[in-house]
Amino acid sequence: MEYVFWKEEVRKSFFIILFILAVFQGTVFSQKPDHFYNVDTEKKIRGTIQKIVMESRYKDASPFLIVVLEEKKTEEVYNVEISPVRFFAHDFHKGEELEVTGSLYFKEGEKNIIARQIRFRGEIIMLRDKKGFPAWRGGEMKQKKRRKGKRF
Amino acid sequence: MERRRDETEKEKKRQAVLKGRNFLLFFYLPFLGILIIFFVFSSLNRATIKKRTEDLVKEQLQAAAGILKVNISHFLKENYSVDEIFGSYSGEEDIYYIALLDENKRILGWSSRFEGYLPLSLQAIGDEESWIIDSPVGKIFNFFSPFSSEEGKSYFLYIGYSLGNLEEMILYSRRSFFLIFGLISIIGIVFFFGLYQLQRHYLDKKKEAEDEKKEKERYRDISAFTSGIAHEIKNPLNSLSLLFELLQKRVPEELQKDVSLGKEEIQKVSRIIDQFSASLKPFRLNKEMFSLAEMVSDVRESLFKEFSTDGIEISYSESSSIMLNADKGLMQQAFLNLLKNSLEASEKGRIGIRAWQKKGKVLVRIDDPGRGIPEEDMELIFEPFFSTKKKGMGVGLYLTKKIIEAHEGEIAVKSQTGQGTTFFIQIPGG
Repeated sequence: MEYVFWKEEVRKSFFIILFILAVFQGTVFSQKPDHFYNVDTEKKIRGTIQKIVMESRYKDASPFLIVVLEEKKTEEVYNVEISPVRFFAHDFHKGEELEVTGSLYFKEGEKNIIARQIRFRGEIIMLRDKKGFPAWRGGEMKQKKRRKGKRF
Repeated sequence: MERRRDETEKEKKRQAVLKGRNFLLFFYLPFLGILIIFFVFSSLNRATIKKRTEDLVKEQLQAAAGILKVNISHFLKENYSVDEIFGSYSGEEDIYYIALLDENKRILGWSSRFEGYLPLSLQAIGDEESWIIDSPVGKIFNFFSPFSSEEGKSYFLYIGYSLGNLEEMILYSRRSFFLIFGLISIIGIVFFFGLYQLQRHYLDKKKEAEDEKKEKERYRDISAFTSGIAHEIKNPLNSLSLLFELLQKRVPEELQKDVSLGKEEIQKVSRIIDQFSASLKPFRLNKEMFSLAEMVSDVRESLFKEFSTDGIEISYSESSSIMLNADKGLMQQAFLNLLKNSLEASEKGRIGIRAWQKKGKVLVRIDDPGRGIPEEDMELIFEPFFSTKKKGMGVGLYLTKKIIEAHEGEIAVKSQTGQGTTFFIQIPGG
């Protein structure tokens, strides 16, 4: 138990020092208020690919693959955020069907979805876990799998 | 003989199985029990320590969040934007995500180390909560708490701390535990195995002593019994022998040969009885110093008189003049038995006797070019009444072994069918 108390003291000092350092550092790393994986707004849509674009979505992150999808039932258009381009190993083509499960948010009057899971050509591809943690940042095991050539 | 050997093998197997069971019952089962108790106790102890550590870390992180709230409140008063405020915490390694919400729980701004990752469900959350979630980068401590700015406006702060250090500590503790557990297991196995070996050695020795005692008692009984019979037979035999001697003097010339043959046969029976008696009686050694070479020479002479040794030569050589302190009569008998066996087994060639001294012991080696001893008989040749010869009684080698052992010596044999036999004798002194 002495060890635990010792750790506690060290941790307390560690937090205070880091806090002081952080206050004077001043690097911005925040995002727009609505643009996060909100588990409360999860939705599933099925549609046809209209367009494929690459966009910078997060600060200091590489460009993301964005698919413009037209929902079959409502013909509404969604901008679907897939993953960083470097991470995604499949090719999308205009006119192909795609089923997306993800978190919906609105930005400048447009409907956007951060994809968690997609069904494409009969294959299910997991992009995030159920709480929205991105698969491309997912711990050692996934990185090892990626090195072997399998990305998901 | 085969049946006896099979029974011995079965007994050995049965004892080996019993020893195996005893080993399990008396050594490893209690040890296993101790290990299980240790494992359960340590696991419970570790679980308690883990729980208490988590509680302490939780308290600590809540305290740290309290400091953050005070600082954010101050920044808000100074009219810093949310982006600017959160930018201040970008260097903090342990903060995975942070969000500021207004009084209606609408997100005003947020920041995360992982793209779009802010695992907050506003639908079911209360005013103040803390919980831990699992993520691919380890456990994250989540804290959702209200606070007021210095101007009196209400806000909520949501923050996710990495519990990586705690997990490292738990992992270290688990590794240490398994290391200690493994070490104790290995040490225990080695220790108990050593203890078992000692105990087995002790039991083997004890059993050997008991067997020896029983064997002695058995031979004492047989000896007493047969000595009585021998005595009873020898008296009339002696009378018969005397009678034949008298007859030899009185019978006509043409019957002399038959009477002489009868007398020899009686003497032969008498010798056999003497041998039996000798093999069953414990020896009383009358030690004296004598030359080994001379003793062997006497034996050789005696053999040449008794047996036909055509085509067989008996040679003797020694490293230096060897004087032996032993019972000369018994030693003569031992060598006579060995050489008689060698002669009977050999048709031609040379029986070589070589003697030398080493570390206070006299070593003798007898090689014969005979037919050798089959492998299955090797263990039995020193047993009493075991013989492969048609006329043999199976007493000679048994008696030889007894004589050598009575002198605290050892005898061994090496043989291969068709390639002769070698006897090794080792006697202390000389």
